[in-house]
Amino acid sequence: MRGRTALLVLPGLAILLVAFLIPSIAMLFSPPGISPGEVFARLGRMLTDPYDQAIVVRTLGLGLIVTVVCIGLGYPIAYLLSRSTSRWAGVLLALAIFPLLLSSVVRTFGWLVVLGSQGAIPQLLLTLGLVDSAPQLLYTPLAIVLGLTQIFLPLAVVASYSALAQVDAGLDEAARGLGANRTRTFWSVVVPLSGPGVVVAATLVFAGAVTAYTTPYLLGGSRQRMLSTQLYTYSSTTIDWAAASATALIMTVLVFAVSGLSSLAARRGATS
Amino acid sequence: MRTRHPIAASLAVGGYVVMLVPILFVVVTAFTAGSTLRFPPDGFSLRWFEAALTYEPFTSSLLSSLMLAAISAVLALALGVPVALAVHRGALPGRSVVEGLFLSPLIVPELVVGLALYQQLMVGFGLDNFQTLLLGHTVLMFPYAVRVTGASLALIDPAVEDAARGLGASPGRTFLSVTLPLLRPGLFSAALLSFITSFNNVPLSLLLQSRDFRTLPVVMLDYVQQNYDPIVAAISVLILAGTVLVAVIAERTVGFARVFGGINR
Repeated sequence: MRGRTALLVLPGLAILLVAFLIPSIAMLFSPPGISPGEVFARLGRMLTDPYDQAIVVRTLGLGLIVTVVCIGLGYPIAYLLSRSTSRWAGVLLALAIFPLLLSSVVRTFGWLVVLGSQGAIPQLLLTLGLVDSAPQLLYTPLAIVLGLTQIFLPLAVVASYSALAQVDAGLDEAARGLGANRTRTFWSVVVPLSGPGVVVAATLVFAGAVTAYTTPYLLGGSRQRMLSTQLYTYSSTTIDWAAASATALIMTVLVFAVSGLSSLAARRGATS
Repeated sequence: MRTRHPIAASLAVGGYVVMLVPILFVVVTAFTAGSTLRFPPDGFSLRWFEAALTYEPFTSSLLSSLMLAAISAVLALALGVPVALAVHRGALPGRSVVEGLFLSPLIVPELVVGLALYQQLMVGFGLDNFQTLLLGHTVLMFPYAVRVTGASLALIDPAVEDAARGLGASPGRTFLSVTLPLLRPGLFSAALLSFITSFNNVPLSLLLQSRDFRTLPVVMLDYVQQNYDPIVAAISVLILAGTVLVAVIAERTVGFARVFGGINR
């Protein structure tokens, strides 16, 4: 029986090793003709160089802002939908999930149409006479935050909704029955009980935002470089394997650290 | 809808605006008669749809993307479903480690995986870019194949399978005539999720392009960077229409929110 079970796993495991684990580890620690020592030396230089530091700080900062905005907008959507008895709630939930299926190139392209100098917002501001010339909205941190929020908000809604759907709506009513008002009920019953799910949602959004490529590339360009666009430049334009590996290491460690912290927090929350 | 939560409701409206309004602008722009991406559009025409459908890089890369997504979804299921079976039914030592390994492609940044496969398999090992893309996309879909079919498998009562075995069916026969039919919604969900994920992928595919085989999202990304005309809006609307079709198929079969949100409603 044991031997047969192993046979079920082996083909998949072989592909996983050959086309994922081994190449990833080899690339991160010893790219062609470069020793692990050189990669770490390059990593050390990067973390002290002001230009590279600015990229790391921008990536972390924008990632945090996008996470806060996505939870701040996504949790209320999930809360209202999970507590609604309207027949429109199903349609609104589907509208919030649908963008997950749509190509991120298509979604991000929408912001070029909205924010570009010939686009809707600058033209509207000109028509209203609020500005003298079309303002530069593309290639700004604001453009990246808007674009990444659009990409990751559906994820925040779905993850928050799953957490909120598990909180029995009867508990809301019990708290109201005991005399708590709506605000009090929300903050002392609904939020604490759905908290672990929100931590999961925030982790997914943050990890996605600090590694996304399409949106920073189209909306940030070379003026607002992030780790992902910088990694692409090192790997395809300058072909600097050591710098590419060091940048990839920063991204990978960042994502693993956040995922690890989040599951630690979830475990703490479960035992307390 | 009337609401007793005015603050939550206004935040929610803001969220929907950010998620959906840019898509509406793409749709409106695609029907312009003018030759730039300006707003408001200059008149109405279908010329950009004609342009998009006759622009060879878009049509050939569309076919490449569809083919890649279909083959890699089938491969991921063929290799991933046995793993789900082993994890949920077999006497597998270290099953949580095995499951964790198969879910790990979700955590490592896709751009990093793309660079690793480009550098180690294409440059280092001499694989061509289609083979590398196929391997990469298959691995990227393992998490869906293992977790979605696994969740579906966990809902099937093993007693049903035991009954079939007790009545004399072989393990293979039991799988084919008992487990597999019950597993169908899970398999269908995993296949749709995998197909969509592969078709839309940019970060993993980005470094794995060649002149002979390129995927549509990457071709579009290049085009947008160099040109500023409504042809991308037109191809975007066609992709939007295809995506709506996939959503409708999902809703009619397993349930849209269940396939794509993991939500039972």
